[in-house]
Amino acid sequence: MRRGDMAARLRRDGGWWALLLPAFLLLSVFYITPILQVLAISFTEPEPGLGNYQRIATNLSVQRVIWTTLRICTITTALALMLGYGLAYAITLASEQARRWWLLCVLVPLWISVLVRAFAWVTLLRRQGLINQTLQGAGIIAEPLQLVWNEFGIIVGMVHYMVPYAVLPMLAAMREIEPRLLAAARGLGASRGQVFRQVFFPLSAPGLVAAGVLVFIFSLGFYITPAILGGGRTLMVAEWISLQILDLIRWGLGTMMATLLVVTILVTLAVFSRVVNMRRLFGGA
Amino acid sequence: MSATLGTGSLELRGLAKRYGEFVAVQGADLMIAAGSFLTLLGPSGSGKTTILMMIAGFTEPTAGRLLLGGGDITALPPEKRAFGMVFQGYALFPHMTVAENVAFPLRVRGIGRAARDTRVRATLDLVQLSGFADRRPAQLSGGQQQRVALARALVFDPALLLLDEPLSALDKKLRAELQEELRALHRRVGRTFINVTHDQEEALSLSDEVAVLNHGRIVQKGAPAMLYEHPRTRFVAGFLGKSNFLHGVVQGDGTVQCGPWRLHHAAPPAPGTAVLLSLRPEKIALGQAGDNAIEGRVLSSAYLGAGHAVVLDTPIGPIRVHQPAWRAAVDPAIGTTISMAWAADAATIVEDDDAPG
Amino acid sequence: MDGIYRPGWVGRALGWGTALYLVLPLFIILPVSVTDQRFLSLPHEGISLRHYAALFAAPDWFASIAQSFWIACASTVLAVGTGTLFAIACWRLNRRSTELLRALMLLPLIVPSIVYAIGLYRYFGWWDLLDRFAGVVIAHGVTGIPYVVITVSTALASFDPRLEQAARGMGASLRQVLAWVILPRIMPGIVSGAIFAFIHSWDELVIVLFIASRDVFTLPRRIWDGINENQDPIMAAVAVLLIGFTTLLLVVDMALRRKRDT
Repeated sequence: MRRGDMAARLRRDGGWWALLLPAFLLLSVFYITPILQVLAISFTEPEPGLGNYQRIATNLSVQRVIWTTLRICTITTALALMLGYGLAYAITLASEQARRWWLLCVLVPLWISVLVRAFAWVTLLRRQGLINQTLQGAGIIAEPLQLVWNEFGIIVGMVHYMVPYAVLPMLAAMREIEPRLLAAARGLGASRGQVFRQVFFPLSAPGLVAAGVLVFIFSLGFYITPAILGGGRTLMVAEWISLQILDLIRWGLGTMMATLLVVTILVTLAVFSRVVNMRRLFGGA
Repeated sequence: MSATLGTGSLELRGLAKRYGEFVAVQGADLMIAAGSFLTLLGPSGSGKTTILMMIAGFTEPTAGRLLLGGGDITALPPEKRAFGMVFQGYALFPHMTVAENVAFPLRVRGIGRAARDTRVRATLDLVQLSGFADRRPAQLSGGQQQRVALARALVFDPALLLLDEPLSALDKKLRAELQEELRALHRRVGRTFINVTHDQEEALSLSDEVAVLNHGRIVQKGAPAMLYEHPRTRFVAGFLGKSNFLHGVVQGDGTVQCGPWRLHHAAPPAPGTAVLLSLRPEKIALGQAGDNAIEGRVLSSAYLGAGHAVVLDTPIGPIRVHQPAWRAAVDPAIGTTISMAWAADAATIVEDDDAPG
Repeated sequence: MDGIYRPGWVGRALGWGTALYLVLPLFIILPVSVTDQRFLSLPHEGISLRHYAALFAAPDWFASIAQSFWIACASTVLAVGTGTLFAIACWRLNRRSTELLRALMLLPLIVPSIVYAIGLYRYFGWWDLLDRFAGVVIAHGVTGIPYVVITVSTALASFDPRLEQAARGMGASLRQVLAWVILPRIMPGIVSGAIFAFIHSWDELVIVLFIASRDVFTLPRRIWDGINENQDPIMAAVAVLLIGFTTLLLVVDMALRRKRDT
């Protein structure tokens, strides 16, 4: 009876399972396999063992790049959350008409090429850039400021990239807050600050955490913006890996760092999946 | 031009469905004659929709078999059974016109455009929607959508038409109209109709036969009048219409001792038996003589146009009486004590299962 | 919320400030692109379209644009074809195992491109797919699937599953249900997914840096070299055109969504 059931179920649903196959095969052969290979190489080259991982404890360059990355990512996440929260708050409380324009301010930067955005910041921030020229022309500064090709430039560019990613989950959480609650709290005698602290903020907190997780894990492996705005002087993990593989041909060290990066991201997600609804974060059905 | 399967009676043999620990349907046995109109009636959660979904093939039974004209169809997927079905909420394709919706079953069978158009037109005529062929479902009223769903289910001449709460989304007046139409349609097409509803009036007025369900079990099956007049259990009596329930014990002389009264009953069981009598409110006459006559004080009285709904306080608890206005012999003013009476064959002895939900 | 409760001045200032921070740097490129100077700067004497003219006269820029366009088209077809069927099957089967598969399919959004890029660098060496059109299409196609899966899943969430049952019950085969009932209903979601998969491939740089070198030289790759090597105002012209193109695609997507919602 049980086996008959199984056969009947397979006959019934077999067609649907077949529809899963093309995407699944493509992902397995051309995505999962190359990535698993990266993980494997970190244990096998230059010689089998944990040699590459011992470098975390001994190698100063490895330690410096990890430290730099964590520091920049933390600052970026904090700033992106602060700015994004303000923007999401304004969008949530805006009228239907205004909301469309606010949303466009978030979505257009989100989808415009990261290269174009980094290029815009270079144009603005470099020594002969628009900001330095304007300030010098106005006589405010005598010497051009060093605004780019350092950590400051990286953070300005990264926060610019990450704010839209921070806004979207927070907006989703804030849109669910019943507006009459806020009006009711005001009506009950709460000041504007009290309404925000005691009603709005606690209700929007899950969105804040989700946004924080999203921005932090995206920042960790970020390549293009730090590479362009850091000018090769401040290295973050992704550019460092690229350097190991393409220029120094040190596959073992590069893949070790890549493995560390993936593990850090997956662990962060796993830890926060208890707090944050990940399915919603990535558009669940 | 018949459906893919032979016609004939549909038989459920011990059909059961469990979801883990939860038993949705337990061992349903049912024989549905070809061409009849059967209604599965029960409160929500009684398993009626699960049975319909198992007949349609969308839900796999955990145990039991399903036979059509003697052939086993238990393992057949829904598209091979090809029963006509009217879904709850109709499930019309919103991106297709009325005609395209109705043509869909013909299109999937590879029937040519010309033959398709003829059949679609004839079927739309059948449900009186000839002028609406090019509308979209969203542009139709609830009643019209319901007819499109019917036309779509009937257009390929299926052996069996399954209706899942077909009238529940409509208002009361429209519902009554469509009940009559559905009944006429059944006579015209001569196919087996299986209907699911929680509305007892709809079940009584539409069907040749009604199967009453409770807690996943078929409690009683029969013609509407038979079920109403001779409910087998307290649940059936209470779910189909209203009823007074009187506890009593059969005496040596064949009367039933009920509180202070000895009541006459047409067919009493052996003396000493404890019985539960079901007595319909409309079978009690106020201020008249009869086999059983008792007195009560009027607790409440509501005028309903066609009659009065009166509740009387008696030593065996409150008793409801339904009195046609034209026959009102006494004025049931609150607080007055009046007499009431009923015939010896008016009450039915029922099994005491749980109270209706 | 429509004016029931308005933000105070702190909230308003922070909101406006952030919006300007997001948008202004992008607008700065427009005057820079019409500068009359030979280097990146605001126009001095007057505006000039010489850098746009130079862009359209440069065959290598044009070749890169064409190549990026065809790669984006091909990888979009790959991502939409497989991703749509995948999302539909997950939606229909709807059990724990398919939920897990769906989560797996989102990996390319979570794992940094740099990790995938170095993996492909070695892996494609074996397959002889380095510096090949097909190689880039496969890489962009696979990483584009999550966008399609997300938008199609979202479209399916508002799809009444009884429509599929109704079609099945009337004798429709799987292919007929797909072609006549499901696909027409979720078309806006599929188009959305296609737009995002296209933009993803069109802008993708990190993977291309590793698996392509000479024969495949996409637009982002050329811009990257441009930013790193010279400060030619042609770059500003390219950037303006890209911003215009992306905004156009987004407006199309927004219009489609509005149509779907009404």
